[in-house]
Amino acid sequence: MSNILVELSNAMAAAVEKAGLSTVMVNARRRMPASGIAYTAELILTANHVVERDEGISVTLSDGNEIPATVVGRDHGTDLALLRLERPLASPAETAQDAKVGQLALGLGRPSNEGIEASLGVVSAVGGPVHTRHGAIDRYIRTDTTPFPGFSGGPLVDAEGRVIGLNTSGFGHGVALTIPADLAWKVAEQLAKHGSVRRGYLGVRSQGVEIPGAAQKALKREQATGLILIGVEKDSPAEAAGLMVGDIIVAVDSQLVRDHDELFACLSDDVVDKSTPVEVLRGGQPQTIDVKIGVRK
Amino acid sequence: MTLSSLHMINSALDELLARVRPLLVVVQNGRRGAGAGILTGSGQVLTNYHVVARGRSFKVTLDDGASYQTRVLSHDPEVDLALLGIPANGYPTAVFSEKEPRPGEMVFAFGHPWGQRNVLTGGVLSAVTVARTRRGEIPVLRTDARLAPGNSGGPLLNAAGEVIGLNAMIFGGDQGIAIPASVIREFLDKARNIMPADAVPEGVL
Repeated sequence: MSNILVELSNAMAAAVEKAGLSTVMVNARRRMPASGIAYTAELILTANHVVERDEGISVTLSDGNEIPATVVGRDHGTDLALLRLERPLASPAETAQDAKVGQLALGLGRPSNEGIEASLGVVSAVGGPVHTRHGAIDRYIRTDTTPFPGFSGGPLVDAEGRVIGLNTSGFGHGVALTIPADLAWKVAEQLAKHGSVRRGYLGVRSQGVEIPGAAQKALKREQATGLILIGVEKDSPAEAAGLMVGDIIVAVDSQLVRDHDELFACLSDDVVDKSTPVEVLRGGQPQTIDVKIGVRK
Repeated sequence: MTLSSLHMINSALDELLARVRPLLVVVQNGRRGAGAGILTGSGQVLTNYHVVARGRSFKVTLDDGASYQTRVLSHDPEVDLALLGIPANGYPTAVFSEKEPRPGEMVFAFGHPWGQRNVLTGGVLSAVTVARTRRGEIPVLRTDARLAPGNSGGPLLNAAGEVIGLNAMIFGGDQGIAIPASVIREFLDKARNIMPADAVPEGVL
């Protein structure tokens, strides 16, 4: 018998089978293994918190082939780690466009040799930025899929088996979140290139302040808050460009800066080593100062 | 897929529920509680062994309200299955799936969680795995469909309404275990072979 339910069911099983090919088992902790996603044939993206050791790591592919692996890099802020296989035999995953609230989603994991595991749900929310134990992530996806043990590092996939994001429960409080694929892939790219995620360094200490009405008028826009500089580090990019204590940062690279999260988001790898316009209020008047952003150590 | 596909999914679900509803029974084990069971033809009711364990006489209530006192015809604690006999026929019979279960396929659990009658919960087949028992390993199915005490003995159905397993255990509320159709078929074959012909109550006693 064939009806729309059977068709949907077959489509979901096919999605799991397809995405299962690029979902691997990551053996890098004492308790049960966790999961990972093949970023390339050689590189495996997984959750940083499941890579508890730096040596004696192995990855088991969907065909049961167990391959030794090494750590390429870690990013604590997004709880992501990139592993390199000794032999490039993994099948790279296909990624999907942005997640939509309400769309069907399947959480996948391969925590054992018994095959791929799946859990069904929908995308419940897309939010962010959110503070994590070691930083922040710009965006996250929340689902009502069941995060079975060992699912951390595995993919959240759409009905066509394309990766929407990487599942992790590493942000604490027992909450499972999904890091959107484009974000995770960007981190993977940087880990592959630099072994870490580069973030921009300005060299200022700041505090949120309200912007008086007159200053907002001078800015020619409604912006209620900015960041007032209460310190400029010695030999920092900020000092070199002439930023001063008392300046109120209101924008970086044409992005509004209303709080620390927004400043943090502006100082991404994209602006490192680049002359970047920083808009400040000095004496109530807007002024744009170009700052060559450094690398945060 | 459009919104009208969602309507089609809903009517397909209605149809599925109408088809499987007469298969589901309540098995009461005196004051030891109750579980679910399914009609497997020839006046036989399949349930979990743990639903009827340590009992003598059980009451089976069908969807149409008919109820029968019954006893165990055959059981195998190792795979947590038991077969009961009731003097009733003419009822629909469960169809067991012949297909290989696939992780990610749609599944429905049907039973009486917390004593609430005829509850259908949905999810996917999460894993095809094994459970370790004293005699060795037995294949089991894991699902993310919500299960609770009272789902025991009820069917795990695929999207076509075929039985792919019998819900048997609930771990931590979000992880259900079902005995797969292949194991059930083996049990039923054995049970029917060793049962004396007069032990099968056909029609009236």
